[in-house]
Amino acid sequence: MKWLTNFCAALMLTGSSMAHALHEGQATPQCPSALTDKGQKLDLTAYKGKVLLIDFWATWCGPCQKSMPFLNSLRNQHQREGFEVVAINVDEDSEIAREFLQAHPVDYPMAFDPKGECPAQFNVEAMPSSFFIDKTGKVRKVHLGYRDDDQAAIGKLVSTLLAE
Amino acid sequence: MRFCCLLLKLLLLAGMFGSQGCSSVAPWERGNLAKEEMSLDPYPNLSHIRDHIFTSREASQGGRTGSGGGCGCN
Repeated sequence: MKWLTNFCAALMLTGSSMAHALHEGQATPQCPSALTDKGQKLDLTAYKGKVLLIDFWATWCGPCQKSMPFLNSLRNQHQREGFEVVAINVDEDSEIAREFLQAHPVDYPMAFDPKGECPAQFNVEAMPSSFFIDKTGKVRKVHLGYRDDDQAAIGKLVSTLLAE
Repeated sequence: MRFCCLLLKLLLLAGMFGSQGCSSVAPWERGNLAKEEMSLDPYPNLSHIRDHIFTSREASQGGRTGSGGGCGCN
């Protein structure tokens, strides 16, 4: 009977779903479900030729909020060199995010995906998640979470990708 | 009898497989879980001071996370 118990336990554990993260070197998935401020579908191919940072964030995520002023200043610092940040908000109620953005405005483009189809495409593993896309449209680095200590590494990576 | 036992085991197996209570919540779907009222202790400071008072007054029953002695008169 013991083998049966062990087998059942193993079976129950294997029932949990496993997601495979987007790997470095893979092409950037598309996010037609994410809508921009103007209600248009987000077209990530429009940023080909630029170094892109795709940031998944939500208002309920403290580190996401903390990262936004830094991302905004980084974007404004390197924008002329061909760097852009595209933020995708994943709040179930986008209105909460819009209210947050009115109080804490940022300069970079914003898209809203309340159904969460876009983060599923990217297999987002943590909040916030930043995907660094090179000029050819390939994922070069996936950065999970945000701490103030990460700023130097993020800035250096952006500079490296811009120099390519 | 043996067949019945095997059948019972198979039924049990199928039942356990079908009654898995675990479900994964994606990182971007944790908005409700992140709400203050969803935390195990939504008011940690209040809980701490209450625990302190309780420990001071009911010394024999306290001892959770309350620390120190004091008169408990606050």
